[in-house]
Amino acid sequence: MKQRIGVYICHCGGNISDYVDVEELGKMFHKEENVVVSKDVMFACADSNQKDMVSDIQANNLDAIVVCSCSPKLHLHTFKNVAARAGLNPSNYVQVNIREQCSWPHSDRPREATVKAAGLIRAGINRVAYSESLDNIEIEVKKSALVIGAGVSGMKAAIDLARSGNEVFLIEKDFFVGGRIAQKETLFPTNQNGKEVVAALYNEMKKYPNITIFTGATVEKVSGSLGNFNVDIKVKPRYINPNADKKAVKRAMDECPVSLSDDFNLGLVERKAIYKNYPEALPDVPVVVAEALKDQEDFVGKFASTLNLNEEVQTLSLIAGSVLVTTGYDHYQPKEGEFGYKTIDNVVTLPELNRLMEMNPDKLTYKGKQIKSLAFIYCVGSRQTKGENKYCSRQCCTSTIHTSLQLKEKYKDIQTYHLYRDIRTYGKQELMYAESSKQGDLYFKYEEKEMPTVSVDGKSTIVKVKDYLTAKKEMEIEADLVVLVTGMVAREDSTHISELFKIPIGRDKFFNEIHPKLKPVETVIKGVYIGGTCQGPKNVSESVQSSLAGASKITALLKSGTVSVDPIIARVDADKCTWCGKCADVCDYTAIKEVLFGEKHVAGINKAVCTGCGICAPVCPENAIEVAQYTDNEIESMIDGFMADVEIKEREAKEVVADDEEVKVGMKEYPQVWREILAGMTDEKNTIPEIAANSKLAGELVTFHLMTMNRYGVVVPAGMDAKETYYYYKKK
Amino acid sequence: MSRVNPKFATELSKYGTGDFSACFNCGNCTATCSLSKADSSFPREMIRYTTLGLEDDIKASLKPWECYYCGECSTECPRQAEPGELMMTLRRWLTAKYDWTGLSGLLYKSLPLSIAAFVLTFAGVLAFAFSVDFDLEHMMHVGHLFEAIAIATIMVVIFVPNIARMWYFTIIKPGVKVPFKKYVDSLGEFFVTMFVQKRALDCDDNRLRWFEHFILVIGYLSLLFTTVFMDWFSTQYLVVNIFGYVMSAIVFIVTVDFVNSRMKKKKALNKHSQPSDWFFVIWLFLMGFTAFFTRLFIDLDLLESNKWLYILHFTVLVQWALIIVPFGKWTHFLYRSFAMYFAKLKEK
Repeated sequence: MKQRIGVYICHCGGNISDYVDVEELGKMFHKEENVVVSKDVMFACADSNQKDMVSDIQANNLDAIVVCSCSPKLHLHTFKNVAARAGLNPSNYVQVNIREQCSWPHSDRPREATVKAAGLIRAGINRVAYSESLDNIEIEVKKSALVIGAGVSGMKAAIDLARSGNEVFLIEKDFFVGGRIAQKETLFPTNQNGKEVVAALYNEMKKYPNITIFTGATVEKVSGSLGNFNVDIKVKPRYINPNADKKAVKRAMDECPVSLSDDFNLGLVERKAIYKNYPEALPDVPVVVAEALKDQEDFVGKFASTLNLNEEVQTLSLIAGSVLVTTGYDHYQPKEGEFGYKTIDNVVTLPELNRLMEMNPDKLTYKGKQIKSLAFIYCVGSRQTKGENKYCSRQCCTSTIHTSLQLKEKYKDIQTYHLYRDIRTYGKQELMYAESSKQGDLYFKYEEKEMPTVSVDGKSTIVKVKDYLTAKKEMEIEADLVVLVTGMVAREDSTHISELFKIPIGRDKFFNEIHPKLKPVETVIKGVYIGGTCQGPKNVSESVQSSLAGASKITALLKSGTVSVDPIIARVDADKCTWCGKCADVCDYTAIKEVLFGEKHVAGINKAVCTGCGICAPVCPENAIEVAQYTDNEIESMIDGFMADVEIKEREAKEVVADDEEVKVGMKEYPQVWREILAGMTDEKNTIPEIAANSKLAGELVTFHLMTMNRYGVVVPAGMDAKETYYYYKKK
Repeated sequence: MSRVNPKFATELSKYGTGDFSACFNCGNCTATCSLSKADSSFPREMIRYTTLGLEDDIKASLKPWECYYCGECSTECPRQAEPGELMMTLRRWLTAKYDWTGLSGLLYKSLPLSIAAFVLTFAGVLAFAFSVDFDLEHMMHVGHLFEAIAIATIMVVIFVPNIARMWYFTIIKPGVKVPFKKYVDSLGEFFVTMFVQKRALDCDDNRLRWFEHFILVIGYLSLLFTTVFMDWFSTQYLVVNIFGYVMSAIVFIVTVDFVNSRMKKKKALNKHSQPSDWFFVIWLFLMGFTAFFTRLFIDLDLLESNKWLYILHFTVLVQWALIIVPFGKWTHFLYRSFAMYFAKLKEK
């Protein structure tokens, strides 16, 4: 129990003291037996007061402090630092919020606000009396990172992680690296070839011996935690003899008698059962679809030394200090009949068109017919106010417009029609939009409630749209090819990854970060980061930015070999615990496991994983679990403190505050800005603009502070009340 | 239901410049236009019709004529799509569409053809002068007669059918029902527009432009009246003579300023002069200028020794009456007036 507690009650320059009688409270808690210092201060957060607090703590040998001011969101760390500076363990600090919880919401009932504040302060004092000194928990970490997904995001992150001296395991589900960008002939805005970017990144990775790439690999099992994740991966074989002659492999590819749908080209064409995604695909070893060659005994016999159909799936165990998930996205797949997809001959998706363009270098043809006009329907599978995908897929507008520019450049005589809902070519991408309309691309705006329709009229395909740019006139567009601009959706296997690593997924099935602005690549699982489009729709630059952010976080985390974790976690009393396992069942983070304590089976808390959420404490039938800083003693004493009777007198009229002596006493606690305003005032009556000019402060700031200063009698123009003074300054 | 026709843009570009395909439909042009009203807004609508190639809708619209080209929209356009110039181009295109002979369109689209027409008419005048042995009195007599006959013929053969076509495109075909009484009641609008261009005064523009245009119209019509009906070149009345001088001077002085602005290209409306615009202002200048000096030479008794001056004047007159008036920019004088009249008829 703490015996020498310091209590500071803040006026917040009137924000609190206008309604809560802070002077009275200050006097009241002075009488408590374990309270040594109790005072009301004008601005608790002011530098001068912080200094006073440090000297109070040292002079009076305080063992705990309570500051009653604003929300801990604002100043918890300010005062924890004050405690630390005075040599007090920061865990012996409690903040009581009497502004957001008392003066602001109860401004209509000042007395009751004061009573509530008294209760909260007493609760705070009681709690801090039970506080214990806690130190951050240090955990040893392994300097290795697992990157899942070798798309552009994963590869860039792997290179950065390796360059910073980490061991990197890069695992890719496909047999070739590159992900989605390998499927793009040109990438906006640089017009680089996707395959060349992939090759450049792959060759860069090859320079780092500390990067190990696994292709055809999937994550099977995850255990362990921050610093020491144990990850089992399954690596599928390529069924090619590693020592086989390269020419023989090539011949086997050419002569392979079986053809299958070409997934890389989105099923638009077929490929051999021994394939590479594209001729330059990396790693430079083809893959055999062993299933398909089962009955081809002659062929397999002929290439017996090249093919190795008996190769087996390997399972490997990796240990990683941290994990970066860059698993990417899937293209939205239109339903059959959605805008005529699969039911009308010449309806394709944008990714399919991109593949078609790469396969048709000179003349764009589809199903044997030359394409001279294309109608793009935007937002297919995105922004569905009533459907599943409510979000905007962010990159498709620019991607389509970029494709349209490429079409014109590549095939010259081509007309494109764009049926959009809103064009979102944000930032520099706007220039592409301007270029597109200047080259004669036609834009039509439709609304979700009046969707365009695709129909066949004899030999031609007609798109009908109610054009909101032409006063909702119904337009008919004849197009050789209708292109559905499909959005991004979470990968089919994202739920699987989410279950393995316990990463939360949103309603949109993309992985969730902790905070979109402040913790944009962190997940609630310590040591697991997300980057690229597995988090939500992004373009290539944004994907790389986020994955590099993740890589930097990981590098910083692993750098020192240990990580420091907040000490507010669950603790098990081994004497009481009977290991019923109920706590482990409810733990969302799998932080609780059965351990041996001497010969007894008890619950063990993994300090690196526990977040201190506290869900385990109430389910324990033996009351053997408690959370640091939220122990039963602390919580019960807070309730007692809050419920205790408080006697508060009705505050006397306010004029008392303007007493001469008060002003003098208050003077030294003025914030800097008041001093500047006072310095800016001359002997004569000044107007606000004059004061502002003299003190080099903004007019609004001067107005605001003058009101408060006037209320405390610091500035009193003779013969005027507060309101008049305000207007006096305001008017002149 | 309208079928989109992207090829229309290519066709229209032959009638003028302006990168209207850059438009992204923000509507700044319509917002900034002081003549655009809630129930009759432009120019965005016309740009939209143009980019989509909705020819029928454009033909049925009177809005291109409701614009007096202050150029504000072109200045404000964030995409430099030149909406003002598009409205001008549409007026040329509409002029060609109203013209049943199709000659308007040919002359607008082809500069060589226009030049050929001017050369041909010049050759005709020369041939005529030869045939009468450069007899000045004979030539002037024919010249005077030609003016009166040309006006009457063009009116009957070209303008009446063309106005009828305009009426058909804008009133009958779109199915606007107009009671006969309204035709009579709205005539005021027609005359006010024809002589005063009252509407142009609402343009957020320099009032000087309106005034210049106003006195040019008055000057031109008065000059026409003086030469045709008062036979200025042969008149003995001092008042008529002086009146003729003043009116012809007004015509050539104002047109000098117009040519000057087109050359300086300071304002949006002067930036994209087409051959038809140049022909119009220059020939109007030449008309006033040669008429002024022809009469001056008559008064100084110099014309007999300077027959070339009259031949020049006659050539300008013939070219004006046979090319520019029926098929060139002169027609805006009629179409604008009728457009305001028809717009009045359409009002509910």
